[in-house]
Amino acid sequence: MDAELAEERVLQAEIAAVRRACENPPAPWEEKSRVKSFQAIHQFTSEGWTSSKDLKNQLGHLESELSFLSTLTGINIRNYSRQTEDLTSTEMAEKSIRKVLQRHRLSGNCHMVTFQLEFQILEIQNKERLSSAVTDLNIIMEPTECSELSEFVSRAEDRKDLFMFFRSLHFFVEWFEYRKRTFKHFKEKYPDAVYLSEGPSSCSMGIRSASRPGFELVIVWRIQIDEDGKVFPKLDLLTKVPQRALELDKNRAIEAAPLSFRTLLGVLGIEAALESLIKSLCAEENN
Amino acid sequence: MAGILAPGLGVLAHLERLENQMSRSRKQSEEPQSVQAQERVLGTKIQKLRHLRDDLKAAVRHRRGSVKACIANVEPNQIVEVNEQEALEEKLENVKAVLQAYHFTGLSGKLTSRGVCVCINTAFEGNLLDSYFVDLVIQKPLRIHHHSVPVFIPLEEIAAKYLQTNIQHFLFSLCEYLNAYSGRKYQADRLQSDFAALLTGPLQRNPLCNLLSFTYKLDPGGQSFPFCARLLYKDLTATLPTDVTVTCQGGEALSSSWEEQRASHETLFCTKPLHQVFASFARREKLDMSLVS
Repeated sequence: MDAELAEERVLQAEIAAVRRACENPPAPWEEKSRVKSFQAIHQFTSEGWTSSKDLKNQLGHLESELSFLSTLTGINIRNYSRQTEDLTSTEMAEKSIRKVLQRHRLSGNCHMVTFQLEFQILEIQNKERLSSAVTDLNIIMEPTECSELSEFVSRAEDRKDLFMFFRSLHFFVEWFEYRKRTFKHFKEKYPDAVYLSEGPSSCSMGIRSASRPGFELVIVWRIQIDEDGKVFPKLDLLTKVPQRALELDKNRAIEAAPLSFRTLLGVLGIEAALESLIKSLCAEENN
Repeated sequence: MAGILAPGLGVLAHLERLENQMSRSRKQSEEPQSVQAQERVLGTKIQKLRHLRDDLKAAVRHRRGSVKACIANVEPNQIVEVNEQEALEEKLENVKAVLQAYHFTGLSGKLTSRGVCVCINTAFEGNLLDSYFVDLVIQKPLRIHHHSVPVFIPLEEIAAKYLQTNIQHFLFSLCEYLNAYSGRKYQADRLQSDFAALLTGPLQRNPLCNLLSFTYKLDPGGQSFPFCARLLYKDLTATLPTDVTVTCQGGEALSSSWEEQRASHETLFCTKPLHQVFASFARREKLDMSLVS
């Protein structure tokens, strides 16, 4: 009796399932066609094709626009979403004032730096004007080791300066890549003389000469972002010299070296100045 | 076509009929009966349920087959079309959204038949301000078809320097000028609208907003002499003045406290945005008033 009762339950469940299948066809295309009706599918022949082609054209056009913008700004945005919240109270509405809060989220990358931004924009529309202001800005960046960048990021967040963030980021990364390329170039050209403590991404380059042990020139190349978001390189020369040499240095050339280096930079530019430093220390090797 | 839908309807009708039969037999089985009688009723019930289930399954299979046959008569490409279209639509929506997002970088644009129309958005301290556009024609040489840049911004100069060699540099440089102008204008506008009470005369300004002249008092309606300020912004890419002179109208010999104030005001105007300096004046005034009362 129990077995039969169980079977009865199973059968009723199966029937219920099949019944549901009758009312709601499971296959998605079947549901679509239900909405469109089977006749519509027959008609799809001419209409469907053109709208798909249109879409492809539109997509192609917009994608090339995107690629142009990405090249122009140096920023590659990959995702964006937004939500809008109407904060207009009835009192405000009576005075024809409208208040809207927008929440935006976007993410992307600028070369090797990836960012994720969440910000809010408050729009207030009254009879005279529309004002829009960024009321909150949160920035997450990877990699986080770039200390030069993290200070800049907090400043941008405090000032809620979106545009400055992107503009400065673009220039910072350009300088970063240029420094990397330059260091790499010198390392490859003078593998024995040049050493980079943290690889091509390090912010300093050391020059040593096998024939002059004890002497060392270190060029520190920092990329700074000032209060207005302007990005500029700052290069300094540090010297390491044996005691004896210091004593022999009557003209105080070594003391004056950092300052002379700055002058040299102004005259020759970065690459030529660095090259001349390497050549001066490693003169014999190059003969 | 009706034949395809009919199995669905037919099946439902069939189902209803059988369900009625079931409820009738259920009612019958509610009458007290012997165990054997109950078993017999249950057995029959199970058989009927099995039949019903099998019929229904067959009907659904038949229906799916008919629909598939119908679809098969239609080009199979067209089914793929529906899915492809949806995927395209979704991708299109995504690309459109990302394009919109570029406005937040300060620089965005649209491709045109001639070249590109670039839109420069300006902002000052989080306040989103005016936008300007530059319509470029991609030809050799590159030229500006038309634009909405104000006439006092040195557009031709910037174009002469960078346009032909580096579009990016040209646009970023223009961005700097326009953002700075927007920022200066914003400060001057805010001073006029929010702190008119502290001004003793009209704010004199040039269209480029890089030369401002005004007189103000810290205690409006009070006995003190007004200050006279002149702000010059030599660097057109900056929003803070390069030259500031504050003088006191009224007396040649200023008491030391006035001199201190005058000097501190000069420093303030050099280091903080104009409307913020006045905001601090207004706050100080409120503080003083509260101390007095």
